Amino acid sequence: MIQLSGLSKTFGTQQVLKEIDLTVDKGEVVVILGPSGSGKTTMLRCINYLERPDAGEVRIGHLAVQGKHPSRRDIHQLRQRTAMVFQQYNLFKHRTALENVMEGLTVVQRIPRSEAREISARMLEKVGLGSKLDHYPGQLSGGQQQRVGIARALALNPEVILFDEPTSALDPELVGEVLEVIRRIAREGITMIVVTHEMGFARDVANRVVFMDGGIIVEEGQPEEIFQRPREERTRQFLQRIMPEPNYSI
Amino acid sequence: MSRRFDIQYVFEFIPKLLAYLNITLLIVGSSIVLGLLIGLIVALPRLYNTPVLKRLSQLYVSFFRGTPILIQLFLVYYGLPEVLGWIHIDVSRLAVLYFVIATYALNSGAFISEMIRASVAAVDRGQIEAAHSIGMSGYQTFTRVIAPQALGISIPLFGNLVIGNLKDTSLAFTLGVMEMTGRSQTLGTATQHFIETYIALSLIYFVISFGLEKGFQWMERYVNRFDGHRSEQMLRASWRRPLRAVPLLGKGGKSG
Ligand SMILES: Nc1ncnc2c1ncn2[C@@H]1O[C@H](COP(=O)(O)OP(=O)(O)OP(=O)(O)O)[C@@H](O)[C@H]1O
Ligand SMILES: [Mg+2]
Repeated sequence: MIQLSGLSKTFGTQQVLKEIDLTVDKGEVVVILGPSGSGKTTMLRCINYLERPDAGEVRIGHLAVQGKHPSRRDIHQLRQRTAMVFQQYNLFKHRTALENVMEGLTVVQRIPRSEAREISARMLEKVGLGSKLDHYPGQLSGGQQQRVGIARALALNPEVILFDEPTSALDPELVGEVLEVIRRIAREGITMIVVTHEMGFARDVANRVVFMDGGIIVEEGQPEEIFQRPREERTRQFLQRIMPEPNYSI
Repeated sequence: MSRRFDIQYVFEFIPKLLAYLNITLLIVGSSIVLGLLIGLIVALPRLYNTPVLKRLSQLYVSFFRGTPILIQLFLVYYGLPEVLGWIHIDVSRLAVLYFVIATYALNSGAFISEMIRASVAAVDRGQIEAAHSIGMSGYQTFTRVIAPQALGISIPLFGNLVIGNLKDTSLAFTLGVMEMTGRSQTLGTATQHFIETYIALSLIYFVISFGLEKGFQWMERYVNRFDGHRSEQMLRASWRRPLRAVPLLGKGGKSG
């Protein structure tokens, strides 16, 4: 279980996160929606302390990490229990697909190379890249690179995978293959928090949808509730802007 | 008065000048090796953002980048014995060559520290965050993600630096060091065939620079072989082109 409580973050004079509380159960897929600048990325980055919150707590299982200056060890623990998939893939450019996936296993988890290689190859197989193990990121398409990014996250066997707009940098024709992979691993019961603008995906895959605006969680609920009967005016306006035609009539 | 131009002299001078190539190469080689050491030490406070040392290192770099190397040669040659004299170290009887090497080492050190800083800064922030996100420590991130890529970025910069250093050594003769340029002066005076000596000299510098340039291009391709696109570009690059300038600052890290 992941629990955020009172998470706050200010950049300069702008308070980007205002005492966010959010609980995500094991195996749950939570999709975060919200307009640009609402703090979605910042919240995600606070969960693994790539961004240090000014106040609040991130709790994963029994590990609770608090405030702006937790111990290095706590941050390390937190990062071992989480994994992130980035909008820009952020693969290590000087390493092959296989090496990208192995890196965390050998260097951080200190798993023997042969075993790490085996796990990594299996993960790449799973995202449909079994034939591209020895390709460098520069030799892969955007969709393939992002799938390597997903394999890298999966291999670490984290308690939660954080996705920050995993398909926003992709050419439209490559979005499908990446969403398909995410959909598949969601079905395996891996806990995920996904920031995305892909409404169809949110509707199909999410167990819960969270709508953020101005650094707060405006409302959350089952996808049908949020998409068909949003309680808040701000949610309604946002959905209208993103999906102008009323395609929720089924 | 100069004698009439005679191409024969060019061929005659080349081996005579080459006899002093070892001095030139000694200056280049030792000052670059020392410069790498100095550059690394000077770059550290800026990489780690250490308050006071950072200012000192900036001052050092600005000085050696902002003053002519000829002046630096004189300053080191006449100034260093004075300064070391205050702490009772007598270097006044040391051969000129050492002062020349010291100057070029200090000078290259300044440029090399800039090269290191710029190359590290050019490594994609996103990859550094990815390394942190999978739990790598700062040290692991540096040695496994930043350093290998910074190395690839720095090679063309380093190539320019070495070639620049080679050409700058021609000023060492102003302190009376007998390297190639110094030798060309005496040959010219003795035979009154100045133009021929300069042609011979240019040919030698050119061939060495050209060889270095090719060597560094090969090294850049080799180190960046993971980057298919870039190595292909390098292959197509004609030798007439100066070593490729690289963009110094990476994309901003934050996505979204
Ligand atoms: N490192 C930073 N320094 C200063 N301001 C920042 C920083 N990171 C984010 N911000 C600001 O915080 C606000 C929230 O940013 P954030 O990236 O979390 O929004 P977002 O919901 O992810 O938006 P988008 O949909 O565009 O990705 C924005 O106004 C942004 O300008
Ligand atoms: Mg964002």
